Amino acid sequence: MSWIDVENLRVTAGSKTLLSDVTLHVEAGTWCTIIGPNGAGKTTLVESVAGLRRIASGEVSVAGKSIAQLHERARARLVSLVPQQPQVPAGMTVQDYVGLGRVAYHGLLRAPSREDKNVVESVLDRLSLSDFAQRDVVTLSGGERQRMVLARALAQSTMVIVLDEPTTGLDVRHQMELLELLKNEVADCGLTVLATLHDLTLAGQFADRLVLLDEGEVVLDGAARDVVRSRELSERYGMNLRVLDVDGSDVIVPVRH
Amino acid sequence: MSTNPPNPRRVAVVTAMTIVALVAAAICGLVVGPTSIGTWRVVGAVFAHLGIGHDTMSSLQSTIVWQLRAPRMVLGLLAGAMLAVAGGTYQGVFRNPLADPYLLGVAAGAGLGATFAIVDIGSGLVTPTWTPLLAFVGAMIAVAFTWLVGGRGLRSSAATLILAGVAVAALLTSVQTYLQQQASSGSIVRVYIWLLGSLASASWSSVLLVLPYVVICIVVCVMAGRALDAMSVGEDESRSLGIRVRQVRFIVIAASSLGTAAIVSAVGLIGFVGIIVPHIVRLLVGTSYRRILPISVLFGAAFLVFADTLARTIMAPSELPLGVVTAAIGAPVFVLILSVRRSYVR
Repeated sequence: MSWIDVENLRVTAGSKTLLSDVTLHVEAGTWCTIIGPNGAGKTTLVESVAGLRRIASGEVSVAGKSIAQLHERARARLVSLVPQQPQVPAGMTVQDYVGLGRVAYHGLLRAPSREDKNVVESVLDRLSLSDFAQRDVVTLSGGERQRMVLARALAQSTMVIVLDEPTTGLDVRHQMELLELLKNEVADCGLTVLATLHDLTLAGQFADRLVLLDEGEVVLDGAARDVVRSRELSERYGMNLRVLDVDGSDVIVPVRH
Repeated sequence: MSTNPPNPRRVAVVTAMTIVALVAAAICGLVVGPTSIGTWRVVGAVFAHLGIGHDTMSSLQSTIVWQLRAPRMVLGLLAGAMLAVAGGTYQGVFRNPLADPYLLGVAAGAGLGATFAIVDIGSGLVTPTWTPLLAFVGAMIAVAFTWLVGGRGLRSSAATLILAGVAVAALLTSVQTYLQQQASSGSIVRVYIWLLGSLASASWSSVLLVLPYVVICIVVCVMAGRALDAMSVGEDESRSLGIRVRQVRFIVIAASSLGTAAIVSAVGLIGFVGIIVPHIVRLLVGTSYRRILPISVLFGAAFLVFADTLARTIMAPSELPLGVVTAAIGAPVFVLILSVRRSYVR
């Protein structure tokens, strides 16, 4: 069963076409990563799925419901977002920040219910953030901060999560840790993931499926192992990419001319 | 400096101290004046009104307290509370620490309306009682105009609205300046006095006139605290969390502007309260609007009544402009707190 359905999506900004006739279906409980060079339209695609972009034509549906037809609150119960550059408000505790993920449930006028608090506590615990719960968000390290943003998205209790370059600014260890946490959530909760990643090795290792986007169009769409080995990948990035097999995992290495 | 959010105990202490200050300000507003009545006699009269004890004031003293000082004190409470909470909500909704209740042209519109009323009184076109009405209408037209110029607010960003407010204020101020240029020197003085703000003309009828607007608008603004906290992560992230950002912005701006326009029409342009009080409160209780807004209501009310008591007594029998006193008290306090805690703006 498909949880994310993108049909002939076209998104424009003024006279510029950002996405052109993009069609994509993501099966429930799978991880699909969008790759592509800068300016390919990756962020536009995930933001469209999150309902943050005005669509020129086509259709985006999540769980069979048209995103454009849903109110913000209903949409936030279907799709959660981890943005590329999350804004972290000084003076807010980690617990309150993660609790923002429950706004779609308790609304803006009522305090969080017992259930909302339980969900937040559970997510903090799963992501090893309980010890930081009362800390000011600005005191966290980059890795802890990104875990907190993921926690907020998980607190939304959606079946679909979209992530825009979630590993930006993290060192290798923290990149792996974050993606492993997400992989566990996919396995444990049956989450459906749509992510963008620049790191092709990480993209290939964590995703079930890769979609190569270039100039607003889908160029390649297939199993991660097939896409990273495609000649088209090197051509679209305009460089020589080699795939090395390291202990059964694909490592994509750019080769200097 | 620790950036940890303030603990609940600190918030409770600040709230309690603000309530004590509010009660003290109200008593000062009733007790202090050129005619000495005596604190306990006035307090006794207040309790007598509540059905406790006996009123020992003479009829003259009763008239002074209940017909002169009390409406002035109550209007001061309402004005301080409304301006402070409107400033806080504007700072939250625009995520701009420099925002105040006059940001979208309320002051310029009210100033133009009042100037038109005062300057044209001599022509017989309007009467003095029209000044508050035209100030109110001018303020609301200015905000509506800003909303339209700024792309109806629903489609535009907060920055676009702020810029539209700057443009509309400049336009209306230029018209007001032209009207003043055509006016007699007597009218110019009256316009100038109005622009500086004063509670001197307060009466129970003016209190009753603004009361419904102000109470409703304060309640709406305070209830917006949770929304403003959630919106501190930016517009796109807020929307992804399920918040109808532009609708919230419309409601908050409408409530803040309506309440401010009502107050300005009654007391003129009192500056500084709307920008300084939320900042002082933020420094004391942290950056959450759920705490800032209700405490700003209490703090702003106490602050303005204290300032007005000083304004009417410090150079008695003449009065200092209220705006001068609010700035003279508020600025040093703010600088003092700022020097202790430097990083706090969300």
